[in-house]
Amino acid sequence: MMRLFTVVTLQLPKQIQVQEKKETTMNVIIFFLSVCTSLLFLNQAAEKNPNPPEGMVYVPAGSFIMGSKYGDPDERPQHIATTNEFFIDKLEVCNADYAEFDANYTFPPGKEHFSVVVTWEQANAYAQWAGKRLPTEKEWEKAARGTDGRIFPWGNTYDNKFVVWNRNYPRGSAIAKPESPYGCLDMAGSVWEWTADWYKPYPGNDVPMEQYGEKYKVMRGGSNFNNHSFIRTTHRYYVPPNTTANYPVGFRCVKDVK
Amino acid sequence: MNKKNLLLYAFVLAFVLNGQASAQKVNDFPAKTDPLHKRVALFDKLMFGNHWNEGTLLQRVIFPPAGFKEPVIAWYSDCFDVTVEMLAAYCFKYAITENRDDLHIANQLFEGLLKLEKVTGVPGLMARGFYKTDKPLWHEQVLWYPMEWHWSTSMPGYRWLGDLSADKFTSLFYGIGIYWELCADEENKQRAADLLDRFMSRCIYHNFKLVDLDGKMTLWGNFCPDLQHQELNSLEMLMGLKVTHRITGKERFHAAYNMLIDRYHYDDRQLKSKVMWPPEWRNPYDDDHAAKSLYMLMRYEKDRSLLIKYRMNLNIHWHDWQNHDFSFPGDPWLIMLYQVLTGENVLTEQKIDGIKNMWGFDRETREFKIPTENGHKVVKSVVEGHASTMIRNYWFGRYYGFIDPSW
Repeated sequence: MMRLFTVVTLQLPKQIQVQEKKETTMNVIIFFLSVCTSLLFLNQAAEKNPNPPEGMVYVPAGSFIMGSKYGDPDERPQHIATTNEFFIDKLEVCNADYAEFDANYTFPPGKEHFSVVVTWEQANAYAQWAGKRLPTEKEWEKAARGTDGRIFPWGNTYDNKFVVWNRNYPRGSAIAKPESPYGCLDMAGSVWEWTADWYKPYPGNDVPMEQYGEKYKVMRGGSNFNNHSFIRTTHRYYVPPNTTANYPVGFRCVKDVK
Repeated sequence: MNKKNLLLYAFVLAFVLNGQASAQKVNDFPAKTDPLHKRVALFDKLMFGNHWNEGTLLQRVIFPPAGFKEPVIAWYSDCFDVTVEMLAAYCFKYAITENRDDLHIANQLFEGLLKLEKVTGVPGLMARGFYKTDKPLWHEQVLWYPMEWHWSTSMPGYRWLGDLSADKFTSLFYGIGIYWELCADEENKQRAADLLDRFMSRCIYHNFKLVDLDGKMTLWGNFCPDLQHQELNSLEMLMGLKVTHRITGKERFHAAYNMLIDRYHYDDRQLKSKVMWPPEWRNPYDDDHAAKSLYMLMRYEKDRSLLIKYRMNLNIHWHDWQNHDFSFPGDPWLIMLYQVLTGENVLTEQKIDGIKNMWGFDRETREFKIPTENGHKVVKSVVEGHASTMIRNYWFGRYYGFIDPSW
């Protein structure tokens, strides 16, 4: 009884409840518009029927829901963003891939298919060598969550079986292997992934952070060594481009559709 | 060996021994054959002699030449937990001995925890560790995430390590809770209550998250009802709120505890704290955090329906703990703790032997890649682990009558 009473005292003020209702209505409208535009682009994409290069998947042009209402201040505001169509690697770049680019790169035997851990500068150099590039934040987030604003690449509920548990396991080795809406694996957990972008606020975000600017590159996707919230599709973290700062951070590449 | 060679050998030996002795302050190491109480006493001296850092204790200390005498070079990331384990140990010890020296040490460790907050300059924000220096030292670049080190604005000349995690959260409420129960005088009880009030209020203000200096949630600081988090974190938050309510007497912490249960079902979520499958994912460090949480919750909670749920959680853990092979330093404590909380006699001869054979740490020599202006240099040094867990186990066992002083 006491517990029920205390819950009542914690009810949100009416003004905030109205605000929440408005936000919900706005979200429904945003979602509807997003689905419509995506369907339009999907239709166009189907007509083009682009053939992804080996190891890559196709992501159609169009809008999607970017950002989060509940995450860190730098994930706000939740907004509609748009990308062109692109191809993206289905898996993170692995040690064996990277060693083809850098003859001096060494790794322990048996770890060929483990995700590589490198600085942004190394990742960017690899991408250029491979005739690709690093994804922008928009591209990365869209490839990870599709258009419906989901929290994780497979949906809205966390499951240990859906992620590469830690760095004792190779890429793509989750017990269950749920893909992102466009067919990518390991966009939650495994290693963090570099993006092309500097760490800057989203348009309309007025929460100051001294880290914003052209000092840090954004990494995404979290590592499962950290808590579940860090592997949300909207989570952002920042590291200088010339170091990993001891974080397990790797990458995957994108390629423009000609 | 002729006389000349013998002299040379003696000279070299004396030089080597002298070099070792000057590399660390305390070197009197126990033997495996020593009785338990002697091993505990000697590890205790090693800890306070070699790991002490202004009220805190460091987990793994690197001796010269890679390390320095001052400031101590060490892994600072878990200094919080090591300090709290020793605080708990000395609280249990003082409850037995009523010796003012033991109380004095417990009070110093409490001051160390207060300093972990003071050094950040932000009320309610606590550091993982700190050290006094005129420049950042090499270990910041190598042993943890270098971006998490900051200069203190409130204590000039100090560096502090941020990114506090859920395990430190748990340690804080467990350690302060025990200190408040067994050691603190009225003045320190109020200071302890104020610390928990500031810490938990900041956490609640940020929607049940640990938020770092940069305004972002820390890497392991997620207890938020609106964000998915480990079920263990739900248990830890319930414990934190329960202890804070008990110690501060402030109703709002009780209200928050009930809200997380009634609206967000943290009481049901906590049932899945223990990852059981696949077996290689079972985590002994998580066991320690769950045990600390259940130890505080199950003694403070009076609601029978909630107590049943916490007991169910303990039972799931016990399914695993009962088969532990005492290879992890906390294993003896888990066994004794289960007996304290349930009243079941689980101390078999085999488990008693495991308790009697508790060990603190061995020294090891490691290579460190120390960054230099032109790259790095490789330096070999002796590393000393910590014995806080063993010492805590011992005094916990003595306090509850499981360990005979003559062992």
